[in-house]
Amino acid sequence: MRENLKFILTKAVEFILTLLVVSFFTFAAFSILPGDTASVILGPEATPEQIDSLRQELGLDKPMVEQYLNWLAGTFSGNLGQSTAFNVPVSSLIAQRLPVTLGMCALALIIVIGVSYPMAILSSRKPFHLADQVFSIIGHIAFAIPPFVLSLLLILLFSNLFGYFAVGQYYAPTDNFGGYLNSLLLPSVCIAIPKIAMIFKFLRSSIITEKASDYIKTSKAHGLSDFSILIRHVLPNTNVSAITVVSIVLSDIIGGSLIVEQVFNLPGLGRLLLMGISRRDFPLLSGMVFYLALATVIIYFVADILNNLVDPRMRLK
Amino acid sequence: MNKSSSKSVNIIEIKDFSLCFPSKTEGMKPVLNKLNLSIKRGSIFGVTGNSGCGKTMTAMSIASLLPKEASIQGGDILFNGQSLLSMDPHSRRLLLGDKIGVIFQEPMSALDPLMRIEAALGEVLISHGVKDKNEIRSKIMEMLKVVGFKNPDAILNRYPHQLSGGQRQRILIAGAALLKPSLLICDEPTSALDTVTTISILELLRSMSISMGITMLFISHDLNVVGCFCDYVAVMKDGAIIEKGITSRVLRSPQTPYTLSLLRKSRLDNVLSNDFFLKPNYSETPLLEVSNMSSGYDGRLFSRQKHANVIHDISFKMYPKEVLGVIGGSGCGKTTLAKTICGLLTPTAGTMLLNDVIIGVVFQDPASCLNPSHNILWHLLEPLKAKKIKLSKLETRELLIATMKEVNLKPSYLLRYPHQLSGGQRQRVAIAMCLILKPKLIIADEPFSSLDASSAANVLSLLSSINHKYNTAILLISHNLHIVSKVASRVMVMDSGTIVESGQLSEVFASPSSQAAKDLLEAERKLNSNPNALS
Amino acid sequence: MADRKAKLSTSKVNVKLTSDLGRISFVVGACMLGFVFLVFLISVFYTPYNPNMTDASNILKAPSFEHLFGTDHLGRDVLSRIMSASKYTIFVSFAGIAIALVLGMLMGLTAGYWGGIYDKAIMLLSNSIMCFPGILLALVAVAVFGSSMLNVVFALGIVFSPSFARVLRTGTIAISNREYILHAKILKVNPFRIMVVHILPNLLTALIPAVVIGLANMTLFESAMSFLGLGVQPPAASYGKMLSDAQSYVTTSPWLIVFPAFMLILYILGLYFISEGVRIRTSRGGTIE
Repeated sequence: MRENLKFILTKAVEFILTLLVVSFFTFAAFSILPGDTASVILGPEATPEQIDSLRQELGLDKPMVEQYLNWLAGTFSGNLGQSTAFNVPVSSLIAQRLPVTLGMCALALIIVIGVSYPMAILSSRKPFHLADQVFSIIGHIAFAIPPFVLSLLLILLFSNLFGYFAVGQYYAPTDNFGGYLNSLLLPSVCIAIPKIAMIFKFLRSSIITEKASDYIKTSKAHGLSDFSILIRHVLPNTNVSAITVVSIVLSDIIGGSLIVEQVFNLPGLGRLLLMGISRRDFPLLSGMVFYLALATVIIYFVADILNNLVDPRMRLK
Repeated sequence: MNKSSSKSVNIIEIKDFSLCFPSKTEGMKPVLNKLNLSIKRGSIFGVTGNSGCGKTMTAMSIASLLPKEASIQGGDILFNGQSLLSMDPHSRRLLLGDKIGVIFQEPMSALDPLMRIEAALGEVLISHGVKDKNEIRSKIMEMLKVVGFKNPDAILNRYPHQLSGGQRQRILIAGAALLKPSLLICDEPTSALDTVTTISILELLRSMSISMGITMLFISHDLNVVGCFCDYVAVMKDGAIIEKGITSRVLRSPQTPYTLSLLRKSRLDNVLSNDFFLKPNYSETPLLEVSNMSSGYDGRLFSRQKHANVIHDISFKMYPKEVLGVIGGSGCGKTTLAKTICGLLTPTAGTMLLNDVIIGVVFQDPASCLNPSHNILWHLLEPLKAKKIKLSKLETRELLIATMKEVNLKPSYLLRYPHQLSGGQRQRVAIAMCLILKPKLIIADEPFSSLDASSAANVLSLLSSINHKYNTAILLISHNLHIVSKVASRVMVMDSGTIVESGQLSEVFASPSSQAAKDLLEAERKLNSNPNALS
Repeated sequence: MADRKAKLSTSKVNVKLTSDLGRISFVVGACMLGFVFLVFLISVFYTPYNPNMTDASNILKAPSFEHLFGTDHLGRDVLSRIMSASKYTIFVSFAGIAIALVLGMLMGLTAGYWGGIYDKAIMLLSNSIMCFPGILLALVAVAVFGSSMLNVVFALGIVFSPSFARVLRTGTIAISNREYILHAKILKVNPFRIMVVHILPNLLTALIPAVVIGLANMTLFESAMSFLGLGVQPPAASYGKMLSDAQSYVTTSPWLIVFPAFMLILYILGLYFISEGVRIRTSRGGTIE
């Protein structure tokens, strides 16, 4: 128990340190690197008066350390300031777009895990046999298709061959939950397919390795059936490294969703981000970047904790 | 015994059994060739032979744990008079763990790292239909006591990585014996263990065989282990048995030249020539003076390990020309001592005085002593570069050729890569790398442990000639008491990080005063005796 | 022992299969990549039309003998644009990986070799970089510094450096305890020499597939950036930009999607196959152990 606690504490410290570095990077990117942030936001045509007033509005006239601390405090209290392009609080903009991205990522993750595990188990039953070879080749190709290209190809396929075209329709989850899911399904599939290939490939080789290990031989010698060996030994041991891989995939999924929603015309965070970039809305951008990175940091933290629960060896390290 | 003796006296009978594996070049490659073998109920039956002779495949055939690719070409295996090959897979599987137990070589990896001991052992019972939780627990506790755990409660909740190699092997034995099998197949169960632990495991197995009436099939390449443990022994070569009989008979007066050659290679003293090493003069100034030194992995800024002293309060002196042996069980701090002397670790307390001596080091593992990316030439030039010794091209050339000759390697080997050399050759290159700097002290950390007897003998005579020619002192760290007793003039015994005993070789070996030294010598004595010496 | 030998002989079958697979993968990948490079080489000297020349009389023409791959919404020849786009894809992926490799080597080798607090600090830094979804960091760089080719390259280089740092750090830690490295330390060889001459060559088997995969992923990112309009600036052609221009004509002019997508996938797939081939061939023991 003490070991557990110690492990979680170390990880928590690591988590906080990472968060601080990430927040500093984000702050630095938008407030230090551009030089004179206010004139960058307003562009070359701005008058000195406009720049001065924006500088005051954003608090850019204060010392750098104070700016950083203010901003950091703001991010944790949810007060990210006023968007310069839309003139509404940044947090409300994000909250409005969140369901799309969140739903898409969750759906994609469910699809990835739901498809890749059965495929890998099936494939590793008889390595190098027909099913395995077919899966591996499809996997390779799927791995190589960028999600947005896949989206375009799928749209092409569905619209021309099946006459089904639901692109661009979006319902809020509170209005029409079925429609909400329906509108997110195809994009989620597009994000998921390359990741399925990735997890499949990882799981397959990992299961094959585990099956060849000494303790599986011991279990066989103990008279266990193949099925209970798979459930009780092989899968738990593959999970040890699978958790880490899935956490990395999840952060990839977030990145991928930002692009795919562009193709499907969904009002998610990705489009907000693009609007922010084209209108040089730095308060909006810094808030979004930080929150997206925060999500990743949390995902990795949770993966570490899960790994600790699964693998007793971690605790003693 | 009486219950099933009606069937037959032999628990296992293998008749004309042949086994093949598909191979890339030859189509089907035979692994077992018309094998005939019968094992008497209640006996301990050893099978030995070189690697690749088919001894493990024999065991796996009985245990029905053959790899999928294996194809049985003919013959039959009878267990209690019942043909195993004609049984359906399900009931064959249920025989395992119930009537037939198996233990393997690698205790470190043979337990699922994610499972507590209780769950790992309970699984055996559950898969054979025992459902009651209390019954499971009491059976496990009982068996843990049998295999020598004084406090089974504490073990139940442990994970495998919290146990030592010997303890894990005991857990595996417990798992295999839980349902009181009539046959226990042991596949090299002691190869990964040190001598003292080996003896204790063998004693455990023997007592279980007697008290529970378990027949044992014991596979080992180590003739010493087979000789001190088994009642009967069969020698295998190329998938067939070439000699079998009562152990003492086979090993004392072998009938076939193959067995004789195996015997000759098995014992280092059989191949050791009469090399001798120089006697030191204890009035000279010592090369190395260590006083009250402690060392280990300190918590410095640039170190991965946590602060922990592995060796404490070490004091000794080494004189020119001297061969000093260091012996001790695994984990006693021998290697830490070597690393500290050669400067990889800094002492955390005490002093170490090296009187301006160039040190050479030879490590244990010939597989990793050379850098696989570079050729031998590079390896020999690297020490010169590191010590900034500038030589002309001609001088370098002469030095290289002389050094290669010294270690009995052809100069043409200079252009080879490590993977093109054998283990013994690599070890000699490692010695050449020391030699090229003309060291006054060579630290040899278990240099023989991964070599077979004849390569070890070659390396040993090489060390002896260096000792003569250059008056080089040698600090020989080894768990092999034989070698140490042949070469060292003084010996130090280490246990849990300290020197528990030191003195002239003859004194320590004749009348050890510390418990650690007594244990080591006792284990060595038992290993070289006949089966009855095991209590 | 015996079973090891048997295992060897049984795994030989698999080894044969895998090594054949490895060779096939490598050859197929090399062909795909070779094709893209060939297109690039030809485009340097010859394209059927000027890739940026608009032609109002030939808008959205389907493939014909005149325009083999058709024309886009501004009447530009798709074939010529595909040919000239190959150079951006190749340049960005290689230049980006070079930057990532240099940074990754600086971080990974030293962190793995020295360990301790320094290692922790470097790992914290690289973990923090990894916490930004890759595409996001590149987008931020473009948002702050403006969208130019070089900004994209530098941003992607930084995004990819942690992955190499990790591979090298893990490898270095594993190798640092090998006896030949201990030997070098005993001889007091300069630490940087140990890292570069003694350790690095032994990590190539792990590093090379990572580099090839990195090239593929880099291309994915680059095309995504261009797709979002933040990579190569118009009128220059890149696959991502062509695809994003074609979005509005998905149903009516599929050739605008199919051809650039084909080239992009060909390049990435070729790299994946090569890395797979290299990985299989080297994991067979080849040079190490």
